[in-house]
Amino acid sequence: MSVIQVNQLTKTYNETMVPVTALDHVNLSFARGEFTAIVGPSGCGKTTLLNMLGGLDKPSAGHVMIEGQDIAVMEGGALVDFRLHNIGFIFQSYNLIPVLTVKENVEFIMDLQNKPRAESDARVSYLLDAMGIADKINLRPKYLSGGQQQRVAVARALASKPKFILADEPTANLDSKSTETLLELMANLNEKEQVTFIFSTHDQRVIDKAHRIIVLEDGRVISDTAQTKSA
Amino acid sequence: MLIQIAWRNVWRNRTRSLVIVAAIALGLWAGIFSDAFMLGMTEQQVYNTIHTETGHVQINKPAFLVNHDLQLRMDNADSVLVGVRKTPGVKAAAARIQLMAMASTAANSAGIMVNGIDPDSQRSVSDLEKLLMEGAYFPSDRSNRILIGKQLAEKLKVRLNSRIVLTLQTAAGDITYSSFKVSGIFQSFDSEFDKQMVFVRKSELQPLLQLPQESASVITVLTNSLEDVDAVEQALQRQLPNLQVQNWKKLSPMVEVTVSTIMQFSLVFVGIILFALAFGIVNVMLMSVLDRTREIGMLMSIGMRPARVFRMILLETIFLSFTGAIIGVSLSAVSVAYFGKTGINLSSMSAGFNAVGFSSIVYPSLGLDFYANITLMVVVIALLAGVFPARRAIKMQPADALRGE
Ligand SMILES: Nc1ncnc2c1ncn2[C@@H]1O[C@H](COP(=O)(O)OP(=O)(O)O)[C@@H](O)[C@H]1O
Ligand SMILES: [Mg+2]
Repeated sequence: MSVIQVNQLTKTYNETMVPVTALDHVNLSFARGEFTAIVGPSGCGKTTLLNMLGGLDKPSAGHVMIEGQDIAVMEGGALVDFRLHNIGFIFQSYNLIPVLTVKENVEFIMDLQNKPRAESDARVSYLLDAMGIADKINLRPKYLSGGQQQRVAVARALASKPKFILADEPTANLDSKSTETLLELMANLNEKEQVTFIFSTHDQRVIDKAHRIIVLEDGRVISDTAQTKSA
Repeated sequence: MLIQIAWRNVWRNRTRSLVIVAAIALGLWAGIFSDAFMLGMTEQQVYNTIHTETGHVQINKPAFLVNHDLQLRMDNADSVLVGVRKTPGVKAAAARIQLMAMASTAANSAGIMVNGIDPDSQRSVSDLEKLLMEGAYFPSDRSNRILIGKQLAEKLKVRLNSRIVLTLQTAAGDITYSSFKVSGIFQSFDSEFDKQMVFVRKSELQPLLQLPQESASVITVLTNSLEDVDAVEQALQRQLPNLQVQNWKKLSPMVEVTVSTIMQFSLVFVGIILFALAFGIVNVMLMSVLDRTREIGMLMSIGMRPARVFRMILLETIFLSFTGAIIGVSLSAVSVAYFGKTGINLSSMSAGFNAVGFSSIVYPSLGLDFYANITLMVVVIALLAGVFPARRAIKMQPADALRGE
């Protein structure tokens, strides 16, 4: 059974002088436990697609069904709550909360979920341990390297126990060593805990790690292939 | 956790926050201190009015105050006085004769108000003795002594021990003269008072005017405290239905009006300062929100409800405003308390102040309720100032905000 079902998804930006169709009748479906890369040149619509999947922006037409619920029609607080409980986000520029420590950044999302303190404490130390940054928990993000910050972001995205995690070019700001570490950690979580990852990238080394590769071009899916673990 | 985040957010841009905190602190300090100054000044004016002129409550025959007619006197004043002194809430009372007269010297003459007092009991209701610049307060071994104000002394060109002739009209309507020796010169806060009022012994004035020993035209009453005034006034009026009983507010309506106006104005004054500061607060918070566009987009993306974001920005505004307010109010409280003890000496400009009835040393003073009102006003202003930036924050669309414009 698929977690996400995308039907005839179209997004046209009308704010510009010439309307831009960033997604053009896209049909896709994502299953639980996938490790999928969305690839394509800059401007092909990767960010737009991830925004639609994450309910951060409204489609112009079509549907985004998450376990049978159409998030394209959800509004306001309900949509925010839906994101909080079902979707994890990782951003290109880490986007941690600068005034909170590493530990608090991860706790924050569980605080929003009103998780009991004991539960969130346990989960924070488990996740930060798994991400290999247990020694940094009381530092603020600015004292961490980009790679370390992004690992905190992964921990935060996982903390809410989402159905899937969306990552828009998570390694674009990282050096190759950090990229490798981060991908290894993500692949590990995917394998051991069946965490569903959907990420966009145009980095060949990242593409090589994916199990499924969706190629976008001018807002259309031009190929969707499975890739056996190799590389 | 929201509180923690909001507090830390306030201090992210330390310089920007400190500037507005300093502005709030200094603005409030200046506003509160000048209010305390004005209130201290009026409080003193009230004190002075009561303790030299009116007392807390004054008793006289109806219509006496219109032109101080000697016919409108109380012939049984001494027995009235006994009853007055027994009334609960009354601290002291004294009777005097008051009439208009003419004072002359070789140099000049002036229309004046003669007060025939009993020196001992007068001491308990008025500060006259303390106002003496030179001379003595009715030495017991000397008769026909008079106390006059500084302005009058200058006008009549008299010094201590000079002679002044008073021209008076007796109860029967005859004109009589009598000569008094200046035994003291006083200076009050009120130059009009110093120009007009002279004091002689009641016991010497009565025979001159052919008045009985028991008689007086005015009874001045001091109560135990300002709060007792209304109750005492009512009790005395019930006790003395045929006499006019009035409190200091009715006797000095100008002072009363000044006091209540200044009380109201003082809050308005701080309100205006806060209102002006509100624009600065809005500006700082708006900058802070716009600086954090991407971060706020992220917060809403990962699941922070707009209502919470709104509350966070409001909290930040309140923290920012309160930091300034706490510093400003503390500075005020300390300086008001300090100068409330030592006083602020305005003698360099006291000539002008005296003319309008203020004293030259001002003791700033503020009640706790004033500080409570200020606190309330800061909360209201902070909330108002926070609404606009907070609305701005939650209007952001997560997708747009994350793209980071
Ligand atoms: N808010 C927007 N307004 C107008 N055009 C936009 C907006 N966001 C994206 N686009 C356009 O949509 C297309 C797809 O953009 P995007 O999804 O960001 O691509 P990618 O992430 O693959 O680089 C681009 O042509 C881009 O210029
Ligand atoms: Mg993009």
